[in-house]
Amino acid sequence: MTDPHSSNNHSQRSSHEGSEGSADSRLVEAHSQLAKNKEEPSEGFSSLPIIIVFLFCGFGFWAGVYLTRNAGGFSANTFDLDAPRLVADSGPKEFEADLAKGQTLFLQQCAACHQATGLGVPGAFPPLAGSPWPVGNDERIIKIVLAGLAGEIEVKGAKYVGNMPNIGAGLKDAQVANIVSYVRSAWGNSAGTVSDVKVAEVRKAIGGRGQYSPKEILDAHPLETK
Amino acid sequence: MSQSYSSRGSVSRIDDSISVPVRLFIFSSLIWLLVASVLGVIVAAKLQVPSFMGECPWFTYGRIETLQRNAFIYGWASNALFALNLWIMSSLARFELKSSWLPVLGGVVWNLTLSYGLIQVLLGQLNGFALLEMPKEVAPALVVAFMFAALWPAVAFARRPTGNVFVSQWYIIGATFVFPVIMVIAQLMLLWCPTLGAMQALVHSWFYQNLILLWLGGSALSAIYYFIAKESGRTISAYYLAAVGFWTYFLFASWTGPATLLGGPIPVWLQSVGVVAALMMLVPTVILVVNFVGTLAPRNGIVQSWNNTTLRFVLVGVVGFTLSALLNIAFSTRSLNALVHFTQFSQAQEHLAIYSFVSMVIFGAAYYILPRLTGSFWPSAKLVHLHFWSCTAGTVLFVVAGLTQGWAAHGRTDFAFSALPGLLAAALLLVGHSAFVLNALGMLTAESAPSNRRSY
Repeated sequence: MTDPHSSNNHSQRSSHEGSEGSADSRLVEAHSQLAKNKEEPSEGFSSLPIIIVFLFCGFGFWAGVYLTRNAGGFSANTFDLDAPRLVADSGPKEFEADLAKGQTLFLQQCAACHQATGLGVPGAFPPLAGSPWPVGNDERIIKIVLAGLAGEIEVKGAKYVGNMPNIGAGLKDAQVANIVSYVRSAWGNSAGTVSDVKVAEVRKAIGGRGQYSPKEILDAHPLETK
Repeated sequence: MSQSYSSRGSVSRIDDSISVPVRLFIFSSLIWLLVASVLGVIVAAKLQVPSFMGECPWFTYGRIETLQRNAFIYGWASNALFALNLWIMSSLARFELKSSWLPVLGGVVWNLTLSYGLIQVLLGQLNGFALLEMPKEVAPALVVAFMFAALWPAVAFARRPTGNVFVSQWYIIGATFVFPVIMVIAQLMLLWCPTLGAMQALVHSWFYQNLILLWLGGSALSAIYYFIAKESGRTISAYYLAAVGFWTYFLFASWTGPATLLGGPIPVWLQSVGVVAALMMLVPTVILVVNFVGTLAPRNGIVQSWNNTTLRFVLVGVVGFTLSALLNIAFSTRSLNALVHFTQFSQAQEHLAIYSFVSMVIFGAAYYILPRLTGSFWPSAKLVHLHFWSCTAGTVLFVVAGLTQGWAAHGRTDFAFSALPGLLAAALLLVGHSAFVLNALGMLTAESAPSNRRSY
């Protein structure tokens, strides 16, 4: 590799033979000529203008189509591409648990302790997969998600001293319903989904209370299976 | 003494007339570059070990990262671009600056204002808009200082002796007019009379993209055009396309802001317009790459460029620009954007633009301008090599680490982010920048006796 220092010196000397300024005016002059003249075929870019014109027209066409389809009617009140379809449906909608949304929420809110696999962490956080706690009577898991659970519990033969916070208190009814429905149907669990109406009822019934103790929740809703 | 005199080049009268302001800008930019590089290492170290210097509120991540970003963009890049724009425009337009104290005044005010603002940030007086974090009285002072420091290229352009114009001049004029406009509008709508809620995010995204792509990017593109034509001695290939490239670049780049807010609480048609603008950036990108690569590639030009210090840095800058532009285009589409939004991926994209592209071009330009400005040579060739290789390695490492980690993080919650490559990259950049600053300061201070300068 040539020493950049010496090559720099070289270029400096050569450019100083003529004055710096006149070299710049030659540069401007030459390019002004180029801009006025058509391209020289010998440059090897002779087909470029045609290709580029077609390419750019194609872009322009695509942009128009994309905007028409994805602009939500250019309404200042449309914030979501799915929104117009929802508005088109008339009447109050029946709640349907969305397991994909439930999974996303679970990963954000619950997976730090219970893990994405639902297996928990042995000795620290109880599993949800195959556990009798989330399945069966849906009020038990809704109450735990809404108010939290603190104390010693036994899950699948192992003891856990947990301190689960009231995660659901900060979520909407539909979000809690989606999380609970996901937990009740993922990893081989097979229990029915719950609706946002049910969550709202439970939330109203328990009020702004603190965490449940294991005894309290099991007295209200005993485990259906061991 | 006589020997050293003979080894010195002469300084032309044009260079002489802008010598003082250009020196001031370059000197300030060098100091800010060092500050930003040291802060960059601290920021990277805090990402790896969050408790590092954590006891002192001055060195909490939020303040240090803000400090680093502002010092880099307003201190290093902007000061250096003041110098570059003034120098390139004066050379091309045969302009002699009569009252050089005006840009000097502007430069002094700019740097004092910036120092004041950054000290306030260090003390905890900062607001939440990236690159507008400094207290709100700083922004108008920056605009005024900019008017004094950076509007001279426009004067030079207006007074050019012939009607002929080179593409570099368009980009400089465009970039010079963009900065005050976006700065005034953004500070009015965000700091002085804030607009409502989500509208602020929109204004900010517009300001941010314009600052990076048009002020920094536009100025750097002008330098690429100039040094490629000048150092290779060739005319720009497919030059007739350059005008289309210029207008489409400035038209579409200024609209790309909303594409960074996909999924945010702004009307969906604005997001779609942002996506369209971002994808239409393909037009200027294709033209610019054809111009640059088409000029350099034929007749063994890449090898020749590699052996020229300026063009070697500019080559890395061209690669940085191309990659950054293509990634911005691809990852502005809704489907791909959803995968990497809020990850290290976007950090790496930004680094590509402001470092691999803009800063590398500035380095290359400095290697051309400083010898002609001072009439002396670079003191050490070894330091030039050290500068090039550590900065290139550092920027490649940072970008590759950021892109791969950002991509790996999507849709996963068990993803552990490793800041080690970033720390290593920041250290490499610090080494390279120290070498560069040492070399450049040696040059700026060694040359002192006025007898060494020939005036005609």
